[in-house]
Amino acid sequence: MLARIEYALRETWASFRRNLTLTMAAVLTSAIALLLVGATFLIQRAFENLLVQWRGDVAMIVFVRSDASPEQVALIDSTLRAAPSVIDVDKLRYLDKPESYAEAQRIFAGDPVTLSLLTPETIPTQFKVVPLTEDTNLVRSLADQYRTLPGVEAVALAEDEFEVISTLSSFVRNVTLIMSLVLLAVAIGLIWNTIRTAMFARRREIEVMKLVGATNWFIRIPFMLEGLLQGLIGGVVSCFGVWGLNSAWTNGVATFKPGTGIASLVVPGGYLSGVMLVLLLLGAAVGAIGSAIAASRFLDV
Amino acid sequence: MITLENVVKVYGNDTVAVDDVSFDVAKGDFVFLVGPSGSGKSTLLRLMSREEIATEGDVWVAGRNVTEMPPSRVPYLRRSLGNIFQDYKLLLNKTVFENVAFALEVIGKPRHVIREQVPFVLELVGLADKHERFPNQLSGGEQQRVSIARAFVNRPLIMLADEPTGNLDPATSEGIMMLLQAINETGTTVVMATHDHRVVNMMRRRVIQLDRGVVVRDQERGVYE
Repeated sequence: MLARIEYALRETWASFRRNLTLTMAAVLTSAIALLLVGATFLIQRAFENLLVQWRGDVAMIVFVRSDASPEQVALIDSTLRAAPSVIDVDKLRYLDKPESYAEAQRIFAGDPVTLSLLTPETIPTQFKVVPLTEDTNLVRSLADQYRTLPGVEAVALAEDEFEVISTLSSFVRNVTLIMSLVLLAVAIGLIWNTIRTAMFARRREIEVMKLVGATNWFIRIPFMLEGLLQGLIGGVVSCFGVWGLNSAWTNGVATFKPGTGIASLVVPGGYLSGVMLVLLLLGAAVGAIGSAIAASRFLDV
Repeated sequence: MITLENVVKVYGNDTVAVDDVSFDVAKGDFVFLVGPSGSGKSTLLRLMSREEIATEGDVWVAGRNVTEMPPSRVPYLRRSLGNIFQDYKLLLNKTVFENVAFALEVIGKPRHVIREQVPFVLELVGLADKHERFPNQLSGGEQQRVSIARAFVNRPLIMLADEPTGNLDPATSEGIMMLLQAINETGTTVVMATHDHRVVNMMRRRVIQLDRGVVVRDQERGVYE
């Protein structure tokens, strides 16, 4: 068993060095493809941060002053519930101070100045309103009405803040997703070609191996490992790329004026590690698929 | 050891290479397959090593029906066979030692077995002092000895030799035949396809003569006609 493992690793490494140019091309292509996949994840997450307060068809947020009395909150609540033909009362949600504070942590992740001004005590609480109607004018007139209620600090409408970003977000997501899928396919193709070339270069050896009774798996495994390694190295390179991009972006965002909303486009470290793990696995998968196809199709050399 | 029962082999373009061939080869036998080019000698060897599958009939090798063998079992069949060829099929980037060791390495034999067996068979074929040479640094006869060492190192039950003296001069051929005879005397069955009159007449062993895929003569202690 040990002899077999040693053989597989030695052959993988030898073949890797022999085809250095092709290997580099395959590794770089998979790295770039994976980098795009990673960027898609990060951009998506950044937009989600920006849109988190509008999630679930929320179209209007009624912010309540942090010093409002429980009676005032109750009055706002009953006023909202008094228009069941316009407002979906089942989906009406009230975020108390801890909940609002938790949400703000995400929105202002890249804006420590604003964040430091907020405390769980001073933060405005909020009603998230999902309208039943498509009629934006009706929602707008309701908003004007709610602004006059005692204890209301502000009323924000999704229409004003959300729709442009939402459209932009899905556009960017679609473009990066399609590009990364195409590049992933190219990466699989290049790895396939590299392995095929490696097998062709060693066709005499493969012929002798079959002649003396090596099993197909014994012949295949070094080639499959080689492809896996190429994908994995591509994954490692892309991780450095994603990490570098994200750091540059985070540093850049910190120089923006607070309160512009750009600050919420920052991705936290934990999520980044998750994305990097996905990229490594995806890289390994790309390599395994490309080389497995080559190794099973070109064994009869 | 080898049994062919009404074996027919038709290649894709309706070329009949082997037409209803039946014979038995006993354990320890030494058999020549003779006949002109295209008479089906090589095809019979390839049917025995399962490089080709019979169109009709059965091929039994070392107790196994090769024709119905699933592909996953073929490597294990090959481990009980030693193959040698006219063109040696040595790996030019490996030394003599490495070429022979390769045959053990790729069937997963541990290193101590390799270190023990390879020098032994190189001694047997008379190349112990040349184990660090590369194939290009050897004569044709020496290269064929390396390929015999590689085929024999795993102690096969059967040796299949396809024109092993085809590229060699008479004196060298004689040396190769002596070596095959020595291997045969260890109990290994040898089947050799050839159209080399001299070696057949020299050995006086069983001769199966083929003509256009049909057995036309099967004779103990025969000569080439």
